[in-house]
Order: sequence, then C-alpha cells, then structure tokens
Amino acid sequence: MRLGKLLQLTQERIVLLLTVFMFLIFAATIDRFLQADNILSIVQNVSVLGILGVGMAMSIIGRGIDLSVVAVMAYSVAWALTLFNQDANLPLSLLLGLGFAILVGLINGVLIAYVEIPAIFATLASGTAVAGFGQFFLVDTDVVFVPRSIGWLASIGSGRTFGVPNSVISLAVVAVLLYWTLHRTVFGRYLYAMGDNPKAARVAGIPVRPMMLAQYVLTAVIAFTAGLVTAMAVDSMNTRVVNSTLVYDVILIAVIGGISLSGGRGSVRNVLVGTVMIGVLLNGMTMLNMPYTAQNIVKGAILLAAIIADSVFNPRDEQTSQQGDI
Amino acid sequence: MDNIIEMVDVTKEYRGIPAISKVNFTLRRGEVHALLGENGAGKSTLTKILAGVTQRTSGEVRFEGSPVNFAAPSEALAAGVAMVFQENSLVPSMSVAQNVFLGDETFFNRLRGKYIAAQQLMGSLNFLVDPWATVATLGAAKKQMVEIARAVRQNAKVIIFDEPTASLTPEEVSHFFALIERLKARGVSIIFIGHALEESLRIADRVTVLRDGEHVLTDHSSNLNREKIIQAMVGRSLSNEIYAPKAERRIRKPGPKALSVQDLSMGNIVRNNSFTVYRGQITGIFGLIGSGRTETAKIISGVEKRRFFHGGEVFLDGRRIRYRVPRQAVRDGIVYVTEDRKIEGFFDTMSISENIHTGYVAAGLAKGLVLRMDEMRELAAHWTSALNVKAINTDAHVVELSGGNQQKVVIAKSLVQQPKVIFFDEPTRGVDVGAIHEIHQLIGDLADKGHAIVVISSYLPEIMNISDRILVSQNGRVVEEFSPSEATEKRIMYAAVH
Repeated sequence: MRLGKLLQLTQERIVLLLTVFMFLIFAATIDRFLQADNILSIVQNVSVLGILGVGMAMSIIGRGIDLSVVAVMAYSVAWALTLFNQDANLPLSLLLGLGFAILVGLINGVLIAYVEIPAIFATLASGTAVAGFGQFFLVDTDVVFVPRSIGWLASIGSGRTFGVPNSVISLAVVAVLLYWTLHRTVFGRYLYAMGDNPKAARVAGIPVRPMMLAQYVLTAVIAFTAGLVTAMAVDSMNTRVVNSTLVYDVILIAVIGGISLSGGRGSVRNVLVGTVMIGVLLNGMTMLNMPYTAQNIVKGAILLAAIIADSVFNPRDEQTSQQGDI
Repeated sequence: MDNIIEMVDVTKEYRGIPAISKVNFTLRRGEVHALLGENGAGKSTLTKILAGVTQRTSGEVRFEGSPVNFAAPSEALAAGVAMVFQENSLVPSMSVAQNVFLGDETFFNRLRGKYIAAQQLMGSLNFLVDPWATVATLGAAKKQMVEIARAVRQNAKVIIFDEPTASLTPEEVSHFFALIERLKARGVSIIFIGHALEESLRIADRVTVLRDGEHVLTDHSSNLNREKIIQAMVGRSLSNEIYAPKAERRIRKPGPKALSVQDLSMGNIVRNNSFTVYRGQITGIFGLIGSGRTETAKIISGVEKRRFFHGGEVFLDGRRIRYRVPRQAVRDGIVYVTEDRKIEGFFDTMSISENIHTGYVAAGLAKGLVLRMDEMRELAAHWTSALNVKAINTDAHVVELSGGNQQKVVIAKSLVQQPKVIFFDEPTRGVDVGAIHEIHQLIGDLADKGHAIVVISSYLPEIMNISDRILVSQNGRVVEEFSPSEATEKRIMYAAVH
C-alpha cells in the first residue's frame, strides 16, 4: 500500500523526473552547465518567478486566480521607489507602496467576494486599471532606478550569503512562511476548505467572503515582496514588465507543478518543483544558444505534455466527478 | 416473447470495488420490467451500462441477440436504447420542440417544421404539452413527458426510466402509468427503476431485485408481494429489524422549547411555515420532495442566502434570530447536516481527521490562529471511535469510504461544533444498511443527551421509527402533527399528499 502510493505518478513527480532528466542531458551536453556558478544562477534567475508563483498558487488553491499580480508588483514598487527618489524616507515609501498593493488586493477581494465577479475577470480588469493608474498618477518614467542610498534593503535581491544568492534566500523565506501559513494556520485550513468545496465550507461556518478578501490581500503583499526583490536584484523596476507574458509564466509554474486549477489541491512544494523545472529548461536552452522563439515552443510543449501526462496517469474517475447514486 | 436484452455475468467496478458483480438480467420484448433494490444496490449502474453511460468491467451484453458494447449514450440510442434520467437532461432555455429534436438539427434548421412534427408526436402520445413552451417553465411531470417524447421519436425499442415517479404527484403518477401502458402497446420494452413497491408491482410484468450489487430474484409480479420483495431487498430482513414497530418503544418527553418558527416564508417553496422544536427529543419532519422541508431547515440555519428570507420569525431559546450566513448559526449552536454530502458535506481532498478538525476550527472552538495538530489527532480519534467510522486510519481520505462512513464523518464534523439544535436532512440517504442502524442509534443518543434534534426524511418507516413527534410538511408548511402512537403510514401519507 505504502509502496504503491510512493510509486504513484503524480504530476509533481512526473515534472520532477522530467527536470532531473533534462538536468542530466544538459549536464552531459553542455560544458559549463554543472559549474556551481551556473547551478546557482539557474535558481537565481527564477527566484522572483518563484515568489510570484507561490502567491499565485495560494490564490488558485482558494479556487481563485489573480491576474493583477504583475501590475501590482510593478507599480507598487515603482511608486515606492519614486517616492524615495523624491526625498521621502525609506520606511514611509515602502509603507505607501505596500499600502497601495494591499488596497488593490482589497479591491480585488471586494469585487470577487461581495460583488461576486469571477476572479479571472475582476483581476484582469484591476490589473489593467492599476497599470493605467500607475502610469498616469504614480510613476513618471517607465523605468525607476534604485538609488544607492537604499542601503541595507538592496541585500534582499542582490549579493550573496555564504555563497547563496540573496534572491534565492528571499524565495526560500517566502516559501517557508507560506508553507507554514497554508498548513499550520486557521487561514490555510480555511483556504483549502474553500478551494475544495466552497458550499461545504460555508455550511461548516467558515467565513468565506472575508477569507477571499484576505486571500487577495495576501497575494498582493507577496507580489509587492516579489517586486522589491526584483528591483534590488537589477537596481531598477521596469514597469514595462506589465506588458510582458510574465503573468502566464507565473501561472505556468504553478500549474506545471501540479496545483490544480479546480482548487484545493497542491502546495508550495509543487510550485518549487515547477519553478526549478522552468529554471533548468531556460538556462539550458540559453546556454545552447537557442533563439527566444524556439524556447517558447519548447516551454509550451512541455506544459502541454505535463498536463496530458497528468490526465493519463490520474484520470478523473466517475466516482469522484459525478454526483448522485452509483 | 423473445429477449431483447440479455446481460450475462456483468460486473462493474469502481476503483476495484464492485458496484455490481456477475449480474444476469434479461428483458423481454414488449414487457415492463421493474428493477428494485435499496440505495446503492446497483440499479442505476446496471441501467447506465445498458444505456452506454458507463462501461462494464466484464461480462457480456446482448441486444437483439448480438453482443454489443455501447461506448457512449449516443451509440445506445442509435441502437434503440434510451434512458430517462432522474435529473432530466433537457436544455431548460429551449422550447419543448427544440428539446425533442435535440441533436438532430439540420444545417439550416427550420423550426416551423419541428414545431408541427413535435405537435403531432405529442398528440400521438396523448401528451398535453405545448411544443412552443420553454422547458424551464414546465413542471416535473411535463418535463418527463418531453423526455419520453424524445425517446419515442428516436424510435427507442427499450426505454429505461430511472425513478420516474419520485417527483410526481399521485395524479401525475397515474398518468405516467397510463403512458407506460401505451408505450407497451406500441411494442416498446421498458425498464423501470422504482422505490415504491406497490407501484412497481402494479405496473410491472416482471420484477428483478438487486442487493449489494448482486442479482437476488427475478419473477413475474403476479408471484410476488410486498413482503417477498422486501425480504429479497434486505436479505437478512435487517431492514425489518430496523424499521419494525417496536411495541415497547420509549417516547421521549419534550424538554424546554428550543426553536420556535412562526410564519416562515420563502417564495413559493416555504409558505407561512410554523412549528416548534423541543430539546431532548427527535422531531421528525416528513414530506414529499418539494414540500419545503429542506428549505425550511436551510433558512433557519442560515444556509439559504438571506435574500430568500421572505418573512416570518424564528426564535432560539426565546431570542429572535435571523442568520445571514451559516457561520452565525453554527456559533449559536444550530447546525445543518446536509442531505447531499458530496455537494455540501465533506472536503474530498482532506483526510477524515482534517474534515472533523475543520468543523471544530470553523466553529471558533480552537484557540488562536495556529492549528494544533495534537488537538486534531485527539478529536479525530475520539469521534471516529464514538461514531464507529470504519477506515484504515484517520488519515484516509473521505472519498475512499463507504457511503455510511462518509455520512458518519459529516455528522462528526457537525457534532464537533458542539451544537444545541441539529437538523439531519435525510441522514441515511445512500447509507449502507448496517450503518443506518448505527446512525439512528446515534441520533437517539443525542436526543437523550438533551439536544434538540430535527430529522427530515422522505422515508416513512424511518420517520415513524425514530421520531418522538412527527410533523408532516406539505406544500411549504407543516400541516399535521402526530404522536408516534397515533401515526400510521396511511395517515401520514394522507396528510402529506392532500
């Protein structure tokens, strides 16, 4: 029984195996792939993606989705940096930036929980609104640079501790905190319950609507954190990231690792597996000098393969998917 | 008479657990064949295999003499086997005619011709249904007529009815039987899944009884009677034991008034409903489907959305209450144990212990915001042994359990919330026979401990057997009250249908 469970191929395990497989292939074919520096840069390059992915996973587990994360990340941090450049003090700038992110999270939550708009539309609209609002009122230039005077804060995104890039440590901290929140707190238990069966959660006495509010606020806070780490890593916040496909990559790493879009399933570990896989893949392809367009083809093909493999190995059986009598 | 359908040693397994095993079944041309058995006996599975909805694991099905293997309902239909489901499969926003011809549209779809053809078809079947009417506006009986018309139009040689009379009024039932006779006269063979025994005996030529997925008996209905069928259905006559009127039954005296409901209303479903629930006894509410019992319980416990609360007052221990969400009701000690545990009962990605613990946490009984795992284990161990939940361990997922054990977990999840008033809505639906007795025992113990218990059931023997007071709900309100000593099936039914 135990052994059977261990051998069962979940999507997470399939992706993990695939990652190991790719890693071995790249290691055998690319000279410098196995160097410590390169291994670290694999993780470093995807650490911000990982942080966003962990936040996205949380909203998906609660049967939602948050498409506004990239806009929130870009403009809350860009605004905080702009304020700081205009001689506001650092804590105040950060607090206002964070406050902006929380406000967007609250608006998302109210739209979804109380106005009952589907999450995908509410956050798509709010993301666009945030970008527009940010461009018009908050941030003058597309790229806001991080001034030298930022001091200690720079270390969350750049530099190394005991040889490990600090951005990777930031990802680890966020992942551990969120893991603990999901599995050891009342909030986490409620979130899984809501994602699994919202009606049953309501009947059991879980405050479903306030929980949804909290869910989107927390996602926005994580997006702000991801933004800070990015900005500190590259010394600037480029708000043009809003127009990129970043948000799809974020959904990709969550889904590829096995966070079920139907809610209630998966955890932080799944996101990390997905993140490492994309990291290895992107790094290997770049080192092989593969053109960007070809990389996209590979990325898309792998996502499809993972989803197909999952539905082959774990078919939705009639017993669980159908209601009513046998 | 030759056999139109022969099933030989048909087995269907779900996750290795047989829903039916080695069942032999024959349907003769032009006969009405009733399929009887308790919930979970395998009646639906058997017919779904015939209709191509699910596929058998092993065995053989022969249709008109040649082996068949319907991979989809459309294949079965093309061969001439149609199934009319419990929950009907019509498109509510389309007209009757469009539904009758659904799936048979031509590229340039002329509706006018369809309406005329539908009109003629309805006329030939003696159905008084307007082909122009939108299906959503029809009652249950007329919807069924549309489904039947659809089956007839597709030249079905075999029509399978899955509990066709469950949602019909007695008058509609007699219409339905007349229709069956007409279909039979046209040479259609009919399989009829039923719950009501007398009804099935009256209409069927032959009767087959299934029990726990196995074939028990097939015989001409003239050779059978209620006792024989019940005996076959429950085997060890366990059901008789459970539901036998106990001569020395102890009737609990009413304790203090717990819940007082006055003129509660919700649209057409609950109309000026008034009744009282006392502590320390079981108040049974009997009513047909659609009589507003479930909705009444859901309004009181806050499960129904507030905008459906159209008036009336509810008092809990003399205090006026009106809940926006179940959370408030749970905190005040009113819980609702659902009739449909898959939809609003348990969390299927969670283990038994997590399910129970979630109920505890959601009731605000856990201290702090951090979950205590030792507390979860203790609760799970206590409640699984108290309710005799049979599972490998408390980490097992609830979906892996039998219906009875699932129900026990759902009950534990509510009891852990330390309720004062408990609504059990169909507490033994889809529960195996052995567990029914345990659940009844449990409900009785709760009443003895002073809880105010309301049991809603549409199964008469259950209501008569466990209630200390019997309320009969009809058309949205409680119309009669019986004490168990004066209640008979006839009197209760009389109050419920008139």
